[in-house]
Amino acid sequence: MAFALSSNPIRRMTARPGQVLAVTLIALFLAIFLIIPAGTVIYIAFTEKGTGALTAVNFIDFFNTDLFRRSFFNSVYVSAMSVVWATVIALPLAVLTTRFDFRGSLVIQTLGFVPLIMPPFVGAVAMQLLFGRNGTVNLLLNDWLGIRIPFMEGLNGVIFVQSLHYFPFILINLSTSLRNIDRSMEEAAQNLGSSGLRLFRRIVFPLAMPGYLAGASLVFVKVFDDLATPLLLNVKDMLAPQAYLRVTSVGLTDPMGYVISVILIVVSIFAMWLSAVAMRGKDYSTTQRGGGGLVRRKLGFGESVIAYGIVGLILLLVLSPHIGLLLLSFATVWSFSPLPDAVTVAHYSRVFGESSIYIKNTLIYASLAGLIDVVVGGAIAYLVLRTKIIGRRWLDWAATSALAIPGVVLGIGYLRTFYGVTLPDGTPLATLWIMVVLALAIRRLPYALRACYAALQQVSESLEEAAENLGATKQRTIRRIVLPLMTGGLLAGFVTSFSTAAVELSATLMLIQSNSDAPLAYGLYVFMQSPAGRGPGAALGVIAVVMVALCTLLSHYVIERRQKALGMAK
Amino acid sequence: MTITINNTELAVSPAKAISIQNVNLCYGSLHVLKDINLEIQPGEFFAFLGPSGCGKTTLLRLIAGFNNAQNGRVVVGGQDVLEMPPWKRDIGMVFQSYALWPHMTVARNVAFGLEERRLPRAELEKRVAAALALVGLSHLAERRPSQLSGGQQQRVALARTIAIEPKVLLLDEPLSNLDAKMRVEVRRELRELQQRLKLTTIFVTHDQEEANTVCDRIAVFNEGSIQQVGTPMHLYEKPANLFVANFLGTANILDGKVSGAGSTRSFEVEGGGSIPVPEGVEVPAGSKLVFRPQYATIGTVEPGAVPLNGTIAHREFLGATVRYGVEVGTGTVLVDAPFHSGDALLAPGSRTVLGIKPGSVLWLAD
Amino acid sequence: MLKTIAAAMLMSAAVFTVAYAQDGGKVTVITSFSKDVTDPFKAGFEAANPGFTLDVQNKSTSAGVKFVDETKVNNQVDLFWASAPDAFENLKGRNLLAKFTPSVTGLPEKVGSYPVNDPQGYYFGFAASGYGIMSNDRYLEANNLPQPREWGDLLKAEYHDHIAIAAPSRSGTTHLTIETILQGEGWAKGWATLTGIGGNLQQVTERSFGVPDAVNSGQTGIGIVIDFFAFSAQASGFPVSFSYPSVTTVVPANVGIITNAPNQKGAEAFVNYLLSEKGQAVLLEPAIRRLPINPALYAKAPEGFPNPFEDPRFQSMITFDSDISKKRTDVVDTLFDQLITFQLDNLRGATKAIHEADKALAANDQADARVLIAEARQLISAMPVTADEAASDETRAAFTGGEQKTARQAELEQKWAAFASEKYAAAKAKAEQALDLID
Repeated sequence: MAFALSSNPIRRMTARPGQVLAVTLIALFLAIFLIIPAGTVIYIAFTEKGTGALTAVNFIDFFNTDLFRRSFFNSVYVSAMSVVWATVIALPLAVLTTRFDFRGSLVIQTLGFVPLIMPPFVGAVAMQLLFGRNGTVNLLLNDWLGIRIPFMEGLNGVIFVQSLHYFPFILINLSTSLRNIDRSMEEAAQNLGSSGLRLFRRIVFPLAMPGYLAGASLVFVKVFDDLATPLLLNVKDMLAPQAYLRVTSVGLTDPMGYVISVILIVVSIFAMWLSAVAMRGKDYSTTQRGGGGLVRRKLGFGESVIAYGIVGLILLLVLSPHIGLLLLSFATVWSFSPLPDAVTVAHYSRVFGESSIYIKNTLIYASLAGLIDVVVGGAIAYLVLRTKIIGRRWLDWAATSALAIPGVVLGIGYLRTFYGVTLPDGTPLATLWIMVVLALAIRRLPYALRACYAALQQVSESLEEAAENLGATKQRTIRRIVLPLMTGGLLAGFVTSFSTAAVELSATLMLIQSNSDAPLAYGLYVFMQSPAGRGPGAALGVIAVVMVALCTLLSHYVIERRQKALGMAK
Repeated sequence: MTITINNTELAVSPAKAISIQNVNLCYGSLHVLKDINLEIQPGEFFAFLGPSGCGKTTLLRLIAGFNNAQNGRVVVGGQDVLEMPPWKRDIGMVFQSYALWPHMTVARNVAFGLEERRLPRAELEKRVAAALALVGLSHLAERRPSQLSGGQQQRVALARTIAIEPKVLLLDEPLSNLDAKMRVEVRRELRELQQRLKLTTIFVTHDQEEANTVCDRIAVFNEGSIQQVGTPMHLYEKPANLFVANFLGTANILDGKVSGAGSTRSFEVEGGGSIPVPEGVEVPAGSKLVFRPQYATIGTVEPGAVPLNGTIAHREFLGATVRYGVEVGTGTVLVDAPFHSGDALLAPGSRTVLGIKPGSVLWLAD
Repeated sequence: MLKTIAAAMLMSAAVFTVAYAQDGGKVTVITSFSKDVTDPFKAGFEAANPGFTLDVQNKSTSAGVKFVDETKVNNQVDLFWASAPDAFENLKGRNLLAKFTPSVTGLPEKVGSYPVNDPQGYYFGFAASGYGIMSNDRYLEANNLPQPREWGDLLKAEYHDHIAIAAPSRSGTTHLTIETILQGEGWAKGWATLTGIGGNLQQVTERSFGVPDAVNSGQTGIGIVIDFFAFSAQASGFPVSFSYPSVTTVVPANVGIITNAPNQKGAEAFVNYLLSEKGQAVLLEPAIRRLPINPALYAKAPEGFPNPFEDPRFQSMITFDSDISKKRTDVVDTLFDQLITFQLDNLRGATKAIHEADKALAANDQADARVLIAEARQLISAMPVTADEAASDETRAAFTGGEQKTARQAELEQKWAAFASEKYAAAKAKAEQALDLID
């Protein structure tokens, strides 16, 4: 493996005090807010029920149980297929918006992101109303052709919904990577006779691999660990739903739920490790040598028609849950019919008064969480990619494992760890809203971390060396050279963390202590427990989506502006 | 036909001519290329020379197909290529950054263009080996670009381009990322290779020394238009305007104006001195007096030369010559005096006289 | 104007709070009830008890129990307010509920055959709920199905793939429904009914509300639900119907005070308010529609609203033995999950084969085939454990980790799942064999 060695020509023999401090601080942060709380819950996996003695018998039971083995394979299959379909959706959008002179690229980048912002419960209801067995599509198909397509049934249903839901991870990371490829890389290939799809397949896509892998591994792990979608589709023989069902059942202290959690964590870290191995020994950073980012090609008329057609279709598909949500928020009664019986704005007037507190809380929580994630994620990425300090990989793995820890597990862990700790006036630490922020930050850290990695991988080390050579200290180099060049990736990480945190419920549901501290997702949950609350819940969902989408649009605007200012896009 | 280099047999196609006709290119209101006309002969090693931002790279990229002209024609080997996409042109280009793909080995990089041309495997491997042998890098075929030195990367980029047997070869500042010693070495190699391959080559550079040493002819660019085309010697001896005179070699430029008419015309140097204008020499309006440092004498005025009084401002000992800076009128001119062992040097601050032959000076406008 | 008054009231309340720190302040309640239910109660309670504010924390029942348990060291919650009596049993068992005697008197002791209040006085019923069958009228009409009224109806071939139920391990109310059927029909026959329904299920949802939601939106036609889901859906305009089967029970929805409540006075005031006539009247609001436990209120109820205190249907309902229920809760839930929820595809496949064979048999009766079909039915309703085994200490210990256990929970689960999948495969084979014989 001579490659691996020489691809890191700069060896930093000794760790600097600043780096040691950074590692220590991050390690403390992860230990206090992730490892200890999750550990207090998950250690049950290693104990015998009743006696509490340490044992590995639970893991033997796991592999001896047909249901769990089936669940394991189903989870792997669904995750892999979701990556495939998410790629099919994300690839055309990423390519068209980054490599072609495409009107509305900004809008598409934003809209393409919106599926990630799917508020809990309402999204599920909207999806069923559109694609369910008696949803709009199937009712119409049945009327016209006498057939029904089982979009939402079984494992294929899960793959369908997950691909629609999580493809933005690939879209975002791939787009950032594509933007950062030096133009001459593509031109050299054209010059040698390559064009079109072959050029993309052989040169552009491989060069965008860091971003693609970052996105794809996120999709894989996220689907692997997601419990909401399978449960919504009543698919229970997958690992994450099995863990959830067992962890949250009343009265049962069943270790198997925690055993599954451990297995989820191990598989998630393994997948991330695999994607890291795939990238090892490949120096993909491309210095911007005045060539600028990929040149944007103009589309001919025919090409434009096809391109807009494809983009339109994809957007229609991926935004259908939101279209359904919008319909639902205006619907009086929507039952066994392609469209609602009548429309009303009453639901909006009902939520209007109470939503402002939710909106304020959501914005504060999600942006603080996003900020923490970018800072911690950026620091970890820097430590892993640019230093040789001991323990840096562990930070990465620990942060990544947060992806696989079910929200409820973390929520319970926070209660256990922090409820006994009280402030001087007797209020438990766990009841402060800042704990919600920290829980959200921990849950979304892996997203930001992947984005930071991809961003940093594409900044050539020579740029930093140049700065150091000119007399800048490490800290100043980071601030003046690395950070500005990573801005796009950091913002992408922030946006991902922010927008997904804004609609997160599972961990927060455990930690919300009063209505005045509640975020939007909680308000939604409260509404979506009754038939009369469906409309107002959907209205609140629409408000959440619009709000997060606007913030996302703003960030994209900033990214574009910045890329232009840096001459990275023309 | 085939040629043999480094014991390697290489197929080469007959050299092609390049004809650029009335090419214009605008970015919005910015006129980047202004009515370019250029004829490059088959097998010629041709340079685009000019300061940065002069349009030389833009024109090169236009030939390769990465920029679009608003009008005009670019004919390569009798074929108008402007409407063709880059990948159909068979015009080899070596990028300034080399643009080697980091995800492929050296051999794969070189093979790329051939794979795109669907060459049979055996033939492909043969040509990759030949191209690498040509640049002397056969032993590094399985390395990755990031493991090579700058000079090696440069040669891989060249091998990659030559492997496709391009009609013509375009080199975009190929030496700019190399150190000085490498630069001299590589430019000689380039010249040698080009001579053997008989490949029509365009070499973009901002370094006149590079252009002079390797190229048959040079087109000097400034602000989007070609100032002059010619052999290095011609450009040096007969620059068409002040810009060319100044850009190629060192030139003394003195302000002043023409007085008199017919056979009594003379150029009155601003602040003192006058040089008769030989009959038949054209002096365009706004012209300035231009001469090379070695075309004047210092301290003596030879027969037929015109004296110009001045004060020595500074001097540099260069070995074979001594270069004096002399204040004449309102300007300063440089004069090179040959150095002979035992000669005493003139002291800065002393008054002196320059001898200038009217036949060796030029009157050039902007 | 209202706001000004409210502000003034808050101000005076604040002053009041300082003067009499005990009477007033924030009353924190954890509840599984939706906003539609809690908002009117919050408004009514705060109006009736100036100085108090109700802070509603909405959590699913199981999450709520977990929350109270996890935070008991520094409890900040005053009340637990939810439907499922078993959740309260659970809390009570963990010493998380405080004893209290409400000031409201004269309420009936029993609703149907179920005691309204905890006999020891740890929690109190404030509304009654019955279990039954909810259906979507449009769905039934489009599929040309009659409205099912009895559990037995749901076993019919015509309802195959049209029914939804929540997993009893996830939904306390569904668990009570299952237990009611088991107690009403007996262990063996009850399970035969349940596996029979199981074979006709379209989905087993993870949340209680998933079932009425699916029925409301028309994704499924029929759901086994608690009555108020249907009543409030009707009140919201959804085209749904509801019926109580004859084997069912009415159980109370409850409220209880948490041990070491930070605002004991407030908690007591809320319980008293819930049981008062004013509080009971709130139950009749269209978005709530639960059965009050104060019989006097039914005079104000809308037409067609069932009255468990007079309606003869409720009088004939079975007696629910909560001791038996408590003993075998884990076993029943796990059996349902392993035999039905996680084996749904196998069970449905076998049931579909039986339905097809039945149909063929009706057209062309053949004795051999009839026997095979009966055997297939037997196989489907076969149980890995008897009623006694289910309630035995050994089996229970497997779930609690007790010392008498003979196997771990995971081992039992695997055993039962293997049992079911083998029986269902055999049943399917027999039914297919029967169909071959007939053809």
